[in-house]
Amino acid sequence: MPGSFSVLRFAVLKPVFAALALLFVLASPAAAQISFKPTAEAVHEDKLLNALKEGDKISGRVSIPDGNAANLIQPAGRDWRDFHRGKLPWIGGITILGMLAVLAIFLMVRGRIRVRAGFSGRTMLRFASFERFTHWLTASCFIILALSGLNVSFGRVLILPLFGPDAFAAMSAWAKLAHNYLAFPFMLGLVIMFLIWIKDNIPGKLDLEWIKQGGGLLPNGKHPPARRFNAGQKGIFWIVIIGGALMSVSGWFLIFPYLLGNVTELQVWTVIHAVVAMCFIAVMLAHIYIGSVGMEGAFDAMGTGEVDVNWAKEHHSLWVEEQEKAGAPSGRSPHAVPAE
Amino acid sequence: MARVKFLCDADRCIECNACVTACKNEHEVPWGINRRRVVTINDGKPGERSVSMACMHCTDAPCAAVCPVSCFYTTADGVVLHSKDLCIGCGYCFYACPFGAPQYPKVGNFGSRGKMDKCTYCAGGPEADSSPAEYAKYGANRLAEGKLPLCAEMCSTKSLLAGDGAIIAEIYKERVMKRGYGSGMWGWKTAYADSPTG
Amino acid sequence: MKVFVAALAFAVVAAVGVAMVLSAIQEPSYVAFSTSGARVGDPGHNLTGPT
Repeated sequence: MPGSFSVLRFAVLKPVFAALALLFVLASPAAAQISFKPTAEAVHEDKLLNALKEGDKISGRVSIPDGNAANLIQPAGRDWRDFHRGKLPWIGGITILGMLAVLAIFLMVRGRIRVRAGFSGRTMLRFASFERFTHWLTASCFIILALSGLNVSFGRVLILPLFGPDAFAAMSAWAKLAHNYLAFPFMLGLVIMFLIWIKDNIPGKLDLEWIKQGGGLLPNGKHPPARRFNAGQKGIFWIVIIGGALMSVSGWFLIFPYLLGNVTELQVWTVIHAVVAMCFIAVMLAHIYIGSVGMEGAFDAMGTGEVDVNWAKEHHSLWVEEQEKAGAPSGRSPHAVPAE
Repeated sequence: MARVKFLCDADRCIECNACVTACKNEHEVPWGINRRRVVTINDGKPGERSVSMACMHCTDAPCAAVCPVSCFYTTADGVVLHSKDLCIGCGYCFYACPFGAPQYPKVGNFGSRGKMDKCTYCAGGPEADSSPAEYAKYGANRLAEGKLPLCAEMCSTKSLLAGDGAIIAEIYKERVMKRGYGSGMWGWKTAYADSPTG
Repeated sequence: MKVFVAALAFAVVAAVGVAMVLSAIQEPSYVAFSTSGARVGDPGHNLTGPT
């Protein structure tokens, strides 16, 4: 009968085929074990991490639209953490505290840089009100940006113990907002400063001479000639423009992180932002020092815009000559009180 | 005291996303916040593996180390939690976390990214245990009720294990011995290298 | 002094203006990560707060 024959056939053939298959598997050289495990160590943590280049990530496929979710592990985060908690405090401490120390020593050793001929009582216009406005706009934003930024880096260690977590967190939240929003008027100030002062800040041979002669910082008190801006000021200008540009670009990516959408690049920009910030703050401390305590007669330039003629002759002799040739409006009489 | 951990057996995970669904449901996690996610390596190729990834509750948590307002804390069980009252939404924890656990309700950093949210090991937050306030801010607190995280409970293949680190490591080792292979305890070196129980 | 105060005032006004502009273009995650296959209305505010 056909049915029983096929059953018989099936009953006999099946185990025969199975035995043959087993024989085949056992006989083939690679199949020493029954179990088969292709690339069983595909996600072995050590192997994958060792195979990664510096700063790279292990990513896979996710069903989530957020690209960041596809990253399984980003080891660079550990290096970033080490930098922010290890190296950066040293960098910041050395540059900022170091600069403060240098300035203190300079003040003690050299003292305040005086006007040798004494104040004449006559003044001349150095900075117009729009220039002063731009400077103070940028400077006041810089102060808040610097303090709020330093709070992010150091506040937890220096300030949190003084105020307790709730007050500190509330203050830090406002500081972060101030940092984010004041960055924009700061950037505007930078752009305006660049436009109005670039022409007087092109470096030249005279600046080399000025530097060689010590720029008036040396105790002999010799003041090499300079135009509107001496080499030191030009240095400050370019540090502000270049440093400010770096801060702006890095800050832009941090404030709009979805532009990059890549955590590794964002880490690089935070490092740039932090390191440039520390150096920037240190340099600005020197700038603030020389413009206030460090040199008498200097603050007036940005304060009222009018500087004493003797001061100007000592520090910017060529500029005074240019101004007098151009018949620039001389300042007020010694007893008039400036309107501003 | 038990030091709790997560262990995802990458050789068992079938990418069913039950863990993700369980977490989303239990804590009413809004769209856009991905406390837990399943990542598939070598998708479609030999050696395809899926790993369920969320906060690993690291021993020396990098998120806690870099937070500018120090809003993180580690419980006695080893669970890393944070306070949304102190969080200023700066995003630093996301830069530091090797596993990409921190999530934010808004995409720009300006104004605020909103308060950071992440897997809490179903252990809530600093608010009172199992209170409505805690649920609204941090989700359900299963640990306070003596239960383990729901993602591991719901795992269809028991690839995601949660509980005492020593016990789940032991379970995993038994599995590896029995079946003859294993990819290793994914993420444990990175997360728990400094843990005394290994 | 006048110039200095004017600069401060300008900075504050600019910052407030920037804040308003940026808040207007800020996107919550559930909008930013919607796709053609997955669009979400308001997904509720558990965990993320009232806004």
